[in-house]
Formats: sequence, C-alpha cells, structure tokens
Amino acid sequence: MTDDHMNDQPNDAIQDERIRALAAGHYNAPDGSVPRDAMWSQISAARRVARAGVAPVAAVAPAAEAVEQRTDVIPMASRRRTRTIVVWRWSAAVAAGLLLAFLLGRFVGDFRTTSPVTKQIAGNNPSTPKHIDPPPGAPEGPSPSPTPNGGEPSRSPRQNPATHPSSEPLAPSVPRDLASADTAATTLYRAAAVQTLMQAEAVLTAYRGVEATGRDPQAMQQAARWARDVLSSTRLLIDSPAGRDPQMRALFTDLELVLAQIVQLSGTPLQDSERDLIDRAMRDRDLLPRLRSAVPAGSATS
Amino acid sequence: MNERELTARVKLGDEAAERALYDAHVDRVYWVAYRMSGRHDLAQDFTQDVFIRAFERIGDFRGDAPFGAWLHSITMSVVLNGLRKVKRFDQREAVLEEAGMVTSSVREAEPDLKERLAQAIDALPEGCRVTFLMHDVEGFTHEEIGAALGTTAGTSKAQLSRARAKLRIALADFAGDWIQ
Repeated sequence: MTDDHMNDQPNDAIQDERIRALAAGHYNAPDGSVPRDAMWSQISAARRVARAGVAPVAAVAPAAEAVEQRTDVIPMASRRRTRTIVVWRWSAAVAAGLLLAFLLGRFVGDFRTTSPVTKQIAGNNPSTPKHIDPPPGAPEGPSPSPTPNGGEPSRSPRQNPATHPSSEPLAPSVPRDLASADTAATTLYRAAAVQTLMQAEAVLTAYRGVEATGRDPQAMQQAARWARDVLSSTRLLIDSPAGRDPQMRALFTDLELVLAQIVQLSGTPLQDSERDLIDRAMRDRDLLPRLRSAVPAGSATS
Repeated sequence: MNERELTARVKLGDEAAERALYDAHVDRVYWVAYRMSGRHDLAQDFTQDVFIRAFERIGDFRGDAPFGAWLHSITMSVVLNGLRKVKRFDQREAVLEEAGMVTSSVREAEPDLKERLAQAIDALPEGCRVTFLMHDVEGFTHEEIGAALGTTAGTSKAQLSRARAKLRIALADFAGDWIQ
C-alpha cells in the first residue's frame, strides 16, 4: 500500500490498481508511431523564423547588427530578450521622434502666430484675415480688406499660408532660425516616417515568413505584437505633416489596413478566408514593393 | 555525448544538438500529450510547441535537475494551456456533461468497461483528471505535478484522492469482479 492509500479501505486499493492498469492500457494509450520527422520539420522551421526574426530589425538598426554578429555565443533566451529590447528601443525612438516633431511643429506654429515679425508679414499680406491685429507699435499696413479675388473665406492662423512652407515661400524678411526650425521639424517627420516604414516592412516580411513556414502560434503572436507597435506610429504619421504628401498618405492608409488585420492574429489558427484577405490586401496594394521604394536607399544604415 | 553536453551545445545554438535532444525525448512528450488530449493532431501541435519553447528557454535550464524533468514541466504547461484553448473551440464541456450523466446512470445492458472507464475519466474535473493521468498513469510525482500545475504536492494528493474516489464510484458496477 502506498502513501496515497493510507486512509483507504483495502478493497479501494485493489480497485484503484485495477483502474490504473486499465487506464494505462486503454485510455488514450499510445498507438502507432510518433511522427518524428514531420514534427521536427515544423520545429526547425519555427526555430529558423525565430532566428530570422532578428534579421529585419538588424537591417534597420546598426546596434542590432552587432548583436547578430555575436549570435554564436548568445543563449536562446538572451537572444529573444535582445530582439525584444531592440524592437522596443526602436519603437521608443520613433515615438520620441514623432513627439519632438509634434512639439516643434507646435512651437513653430505658435511662434508664427505670436511673433511680431509674423504678424507684420500677416499684416502686409492682402489675404490676411481680419481678426489678426497688427502688433502694437508696428507700422500700419493696408487696412484689412476682402481678398482681391472677392472674398476667400478667412483661415485660422494654423491654416494661414504663411505657416505652411509648402503652400507659399516664406517672405524674405522671415528670420533664418524660423525657417531652419521648420526644416528641422519636416526632417524629423520624414525620419520618423522612414523608420516606421522600415519597421512595417520588417513586420510584413516576418508575417509572410510565419505564414510560409507553418504558422507557429508564438511567431504569429510576435508578428501581431510588432504590427500593433507599428500601427500606433502609422496612425500618428497619417495625421502629421508627413501625411500631407498624398502618396505617403495613401501608403500609410493601406499599411494601416493590413497591419490592423495582422494585429487581429491571436496565435490561433487563421481561417483560410482571413488569410486570403490579408494576402490579397498586401498583393493588390503592392504593399511591400511600395514600402521598399518609399524608403530611401541607405536609410537602413544611416 | 551526454545530456549535459547536449544542452550546453543547444545553448550555443547548435541545431544538431537540438535534434539529438529532440530524438531522446520526443516519444515521451508526444505520448503524454496524446494521453492528455486523446487526439493525434493536438499531440503533434503540443509536442512541437514544447520543443520550440524548450529550445527558446534553454538559457533558463541550469542543469540542477535532469533535462527530462525540466522538459516535462514545460510539457505539462503547454498541454494544459493548449487543452484550455481547445476546450473553448470544440465545446468540450457539452461532451463532459454528457459523460457525467452516463457515469451517474444505472448500469446499462452489457456495458463496455473500457468505454465506461474513458467516459468516467473524461467526466472528472480537469484538475482531478490531469492529476490522475499524470500520477497514476504517467508516473509523475506529486511534487512534479504540483510544480507543473502551479499548486502544491498536497493539493495534488488531494486531487488524486478525489479522482480515484470518483472513478471507483463510476465503475462500482465492476468492483465485484475485480476484487474476487
């Protein structure tokens, strides 16, 4: 009698032993052979995807390249952590870039609406809306009057062409630092857009890799997590000056659609219809080729 | 090459060592997964998941215990989580409920003992079923089961006791034949 039967009746022990033997012999008992090779091919494919998961990010991040070079001596768990850290670091960099660009944009906008120079320019501009008063002590310009072409609707200060470098060139009297701040903001937005596009390319490539090599639930979940990170940046960029470029805006919108579909992946097997939907969305929109052509050559290493 | 050397090589990313470890343990993992799930397709999925996870986390394996014990704790975790997910999909509760009704019903004409046993095991509460299968059928210790289920060895003993009692009741019709 074992410890487990200390408090049982003797007959219970006999019964238990019979039940145990019967269960061992008949309840889901081993039958046939173990499909070793079939399972191994799936495991090794998933391992390759997991290892290759570093590659797209490594192409983006020079720091990640160094990590990849040391692959031979990094344990698997550390490699996974490293990959996660790299992804998070780049996501944080993109978010910080967007925030900085947004703040710069706000600063430039505020500077233009409040600075005497801007108001002077606005005052001298015949299309200036009536509600912008000339600065105190500033020489009076022509009195506010309807636009020469007969009444263009008045714009808010933010919509004023003077605040949009793409609409009209700045007046020669605009200070150099104002122009350079604007250029810096545009450059930051552009850099953030390029980084997001590179990350999106990595996500889509990873997704296709997972799809092609067995749809491992964990790898699917990883792809979905990446897609979620990129999706948040995509939404911000659509609403930023980077999204004013119609071509870029269309690309981000298409990207948003596909990323949103990938985010839905929960690691459970995809329905064929869902998979077809994602594949068709990527194929019909030429997403990967457009992404690659939108990223300037050499961006990955710069 | 012994298992310690193999695990050391796996930590360095040696695929051949991964295959060697896989070959050494795959049968046991597969049949445990099959025993718990009763389906070859699930057993295959679970086994793959076990090894993928084990190789990813090999850095956490310190070698204090045998690799097999460490692997089986992963097996338990993967299988139990996997079964919970499957349950949500195939409405297994309905089947269990049906089986529960069978076990409490009066003896039918010429019942098949094996079938009744399978139904009785399936009708056990999940914790009892897992504990019974792991301990009495697969030979795991209460400590191992407690660690895998995130409970204590005492809880495992209690679950096993409940499981055995329920099975004895469910198969009481056959008790006379067994004791003689």
